[in-house]
Amino acid sequence: MAQPFPYTYYSCDCYDSKVAAAPTKHASQGIPPAEDEDERDFDPRSPGANYSLYPLEHLLYCEDCQQIRCPRCVVEETLNWYCPSCLFEVPSSVVKTDGNRCTRNCYNCPVCSSPAVVTTLEDPFDPSSSGGPWLLLCTYCKWTSLEIGIEFEKHTGITAQLARLGNGGRTIPSHKEREKERERRLELDKHKSRDILSGSEDSPTTDKRDDGPPSHDDIYANLSAFYKSQLAAQQPSNPFSPHDINFSSPSSFSRIMNLYSSSTSKKQKREKPTPMREAASPLEGLTLHSPSTDTAIIDRLKTSGWSRTLSPAQKLAQMTPTVRFTSDLRPLASILCTKRGKRCRSCRHILSKPESKITSTRYKIKLLARNHIPRLSLRALHTSTSASASATAAAAAILPFNYDSLRPGLPIHFLLHISNPLFDPVRVTLATPSLTPGRVHTRVTILCPQFDVGANTDVWDDALSGSTDTAAGGLKRFSASGEGGAGRGTEGSGGAVEAGKIWERGRNWTSVVLEVVPGKDGKA
Amino acid sequence: MSSSAGGERKVSASLGRSVRGQTPRIQDLASTPESPRTPLRSTSQWFSSPGGSFRTEEEYVVLEVGSRFVRGGFPGQSAPLCILPFGPDEQRRLGDYRQWDPEYKMKRRKRKRGQEWGQEHELYRTDLSKLDLGLLEDKLERVMREAYNKYFLLDPKPRRILLALPPRMPHPLMSTILGVLFGSMQAPSITLLSSPILSTVAAGLRSALVVDIGWAETTVTGVYEYREVHEARSIRAGKMLSEEMAKLLNEELNEDVEPGDPKIEVSFEEAEEVLTRVGWCKSRPKSNRNTLYFPARTSPILEEFEDAVEVPEPTVAIPFPKNTPPTELIIAFASLAKPAEAALFAPQTALNEFDDHELPLHHLIYRALLSLPMDVRRICMSRIVITGGVSNLPGLKTRIIAELEAMVQQRGWDPVRSYGSAGARREAILRQQRENAELRREEGEDKVSESLDPDNPPAPPSAGFQSPEEDPIDLKLAHIALRNGPPPNAYVGGVIRGVETLGAWAGASLVAQLRIKGIVEIEREKFLQHGLLGASKDKEISVVPQRQSMGPGVGRGAGERASWTLGVWA
Ligand SMILES: [Zn+2]
Ligand SMILES: [Zn+2]
Ligand SMILES: [Zn+2]
Ligand SMILES: [Zn+2]
Repeated sequence: MAQPFPYTYYSCDCYDSKVAAAPTKHASQGIPPAEDEDERDFDPRSPGANYSLYPLEHLLYCEDCQQIRCPRCVVEETLNWYCPSCLFEVPSSVVKTDGNRCTRNCYNCPVCSSPAVVTTLEDPFDPSSSGGPWLLLCTYCKWTSLEIGIEFEKHTGITAQLARLGNGGRTIPSHKEREKERERRLELDKHKSRDILSGSEDSPTTDKRDDGPPSHDDIYANLSAFYKSQLAAQQPSNPFSPHDINFSSPSSFSRIMNLYSSSTSKKQKREKPTPMREAASPLEGLTLHSPSTDTAIIDRLKTSGWSRTLSPAQKLAQMTPTVRFTSDLRPLASILCTKRGKRCRSCRHILSKPESKITSTRYKIKLLARNHIPRLSLRALHTSTSASASATAAAAAILPFNYDSLRPGLPIHFLLHISNPLFDPVRVTLATPSLTPGRVHTRVTILCPQFDVGANTDVWDDALSGSTDTAAGGLKRFSASGEGGAGRGTEGSGGAVEAGKIWERGRNWTSVVLEVVPGKDGKA
Repeated sequence: MSSSAGGERKVSASLGRSVRGQTPRIQDLASTPESPRTPLRSTSQWFSSPGGSFRTEEEYVVLEVGSRFVRGGFPGQSAPLCILPFGPDEQRRLGDYRQWDPEYKMKRRKRKRGQEWGQEHELYRTDLSKLDLGLLEDKLERVMREAYNKYFLLDPKPRRILLALPPRMPHPLMSTILGVLFGSMQAPSITLLSSPILSTVAAGLRSALVVDIGWAETTVTGVYEYREVHEARSIRAGKMLSEEMAKLLNEELNEDVEPGDPKIEVSFEEAEEVLTRVGWCKSRPKSNRNTLYFPARTSPILEEFEDAVEVPEPTVAIPFPKNTPPTELIIAFASLAKPAEAALFAPQTALNEFDDHELPLHHLIYRALLSLPMDVRRICMSRIVITGGVSNLPGLKTRIIAELEAMVQQRGWDPVRSYGSAGARREAILRQQRENAELRREEGEDKVSESLDPDNPPAPPSAGFQSPEEDPIDLKLAHIALRNGPPPNAYVGGVIRGVETLGAWAGASLVAQLRIKGIVEIEREKFLQHGLLGASKDKEISVVPQRQSMGPGVGRGAGERASWTLGVWA
């Protein structure tokens, strides 16, 4: 596990305040009424707690509000866009048109999402002039674009090449070409239907689709063009922009609706613009359900088996949500990342701002909570073992304590260590529910719930001023090298666990003892 | 169940409300008592809102918030930029990196005590008694932050939101969702669009019977001229299907387990993966084969899986790396169609044994059609749009359409079901009619539909209802209409026909791209001030608890100039 067991999480204040403050919050079933908020025990095991607990390192601090700020009580604003793979900055003007993806040669494997590289297929004994053909190769799982029947002529401009290459190597017509083709076919259809009515019923199926069923994108484009043409038919045509209709006119659509539903005489009807209608052909985006599509998929499942199908994660990563088989996979262009500044949600002060240079990981401003909030850490105390000899104590310190084998009913002592990042001493008051919430009710007692922690004065100041007491609460001085080392020159109860007394204290830290009596599983 | 009964009541009430100032009869919905040229409130419900309209200079974010996934992207895109799930891995604390630990990854996740199947993967459920709204807010907030920061990558300019929601979502739920989008996402305004209507738009239609087979329930919505006119629900949907799949896998996996050894229980993730990868549905049930008529031309396809007893029986090898020890299950391919059978069609149970909220899908759809006025039904039955996550199960759409065709042949549209000898005779007649219609349809697909009525294209309800089979074809009129008007295929009716849709999200993307405004547009300031109570409504009773601290002069939005309504969600 990435988090070693005794860990410390900080609960952000916005968890409590949102319940009372949010205007949208009505008596919700899951949360107890907010009236006695102070008495409400915070249950770290509740599923909701996962959203308000943070490691100290993840928290920022607003100096104006004097509050810690978690990801949900900051407002983020994008400063610049870049590709995480090639680290090139992308100007904001093209981010959206590029679909928020890198248009250089940055691709990820559609199978395992590792970066894929462009490599050559060139036969070393028969080199080609271009050095190709080229392909995309996953450096981790060894997937190659050959598996979907795609190879490239050049090793640059992969995105442009890929846009024209369908799986299996067939050419995808460009957007413009498709539009033209649609217009042509629509025109053809119109003539055909007239021919049929005037009696010439030849050539019924001459214009059959040659390239299979239309893709998700094609259907969308057809629908979009269809609706646009229907809307355009409603408007007096503007010679300068035949497709750009003033949609902001609030009446436009309601007018269509009215025209459509009004029952007028035939003659009146024909004088008016054509009412908006439903799509009537595949070219207009209408796709009738066909059982043969289903049958084909089932057949394919039966013959190709599990390994040819896609996992849920692989499907979700694809651009078209309808993919099903490994042969449908497309290489994934790297999604752009952003550098973002963070502001306090309540006072709008900047809490963090990275340097704008993409390759720099430094921050111009970063107000970290750990510079303002005492750090707490917890570990088991070994000294309560019966062996008293110093040799065995040292051995025990080396031997890691097994946190998985706490025995119900057997008290154990834990050491709570509090260090103060501030330049002023702090007074700490600790509280704990006497029984932990959740399934296992463990009894926790803080032996010394109230104490002081010294200021975080400069270590060198300390060293220079020797062992003279300063104003920092009259604590015993402690050398920098000794910090954290137990039992050397520290003030405290000197190894005996005693109620009301701190265990140990250093320059800017204090530790106290907790007594923990593990409860029984499944019993109250 | 009381909740379902309540839902039913609410539906009819809001359906009534959707025709303001008119008798709330479905028959009246599309008729136009007013003079032709005056704006008709009743027919332009969806489009003519007193609220704002799309403005060209403003950019939108298009969102669909489902019970298990959030889809988000921009107008004019055919597919969302991201589809984000709500799994346990998405709900970890910050700094908990367990899911990246290979050892942890190989462990089978156990269902937590007291949790329902798949509950950890839900954003919300419509049963509010079991919903923690605080948790819903937390989950949605985190996912939306991910969508904005990782996928939308917008500049700091605030974006309006176009939000696709299921119609009649409970108000506390809706209020929480809107609260997150207005609060954390700082949306200046949110336009609500109902998902069945969007699915209709994304099918290129104006009217449809939208069958949304989602996670917790299947919703059948009759849409006529972009308005919901009927709604029916059943709990036979994704959750039940996934549980059935788990049951099947457990049975198969435990076959080799020694009696004393612990039983294997697959996790939700495993069942889900098997279902989405190799799950399928028989295109037609075996049991019905002798009693039902199928057009000769389609039968080869439909019967392929019934007749061909293949030797050796085809099997699928499914790896279970999370099992201890890792194992591979060899399962008959035919078995993988069983969960869909049991969960969605339940052929073993007699119809009268089902509660109203657990009807098998084909019965649910048939009943929904039956309850539509005849002419609306005639339009809707030829526009059956099956959508929702489960609809991707191979064979399912074909099966539903086939079952439906069979039921219509067997029973017609007589609300009183006829059985016995009289029924048999009736069936024979219907079969004959049906065959003729089928032939005509197949041969005249692109020519003249038998239901063409060029004078009155979408056939708004007229006083004299005609049965579809008797529709006259006036070739002369058709001729004129074709020369000047739309193609006849746009007016097909009276036959069972399935139409594919790109789904609600794509519909929303189209609507936003075309800058069609919605009926329900909510401004941020108004919402933050009054919540959903800010909406002016015709009905005084509200699900939303009254807030105490409303100052004087806040007249619940009624007296305000730019008032807004909740439309179908009221
Ligand atoms: Zn916070
Ligand atoms: Zn790049
Ligand atoms: Zn790979
Ligand atoms: Zn602040």
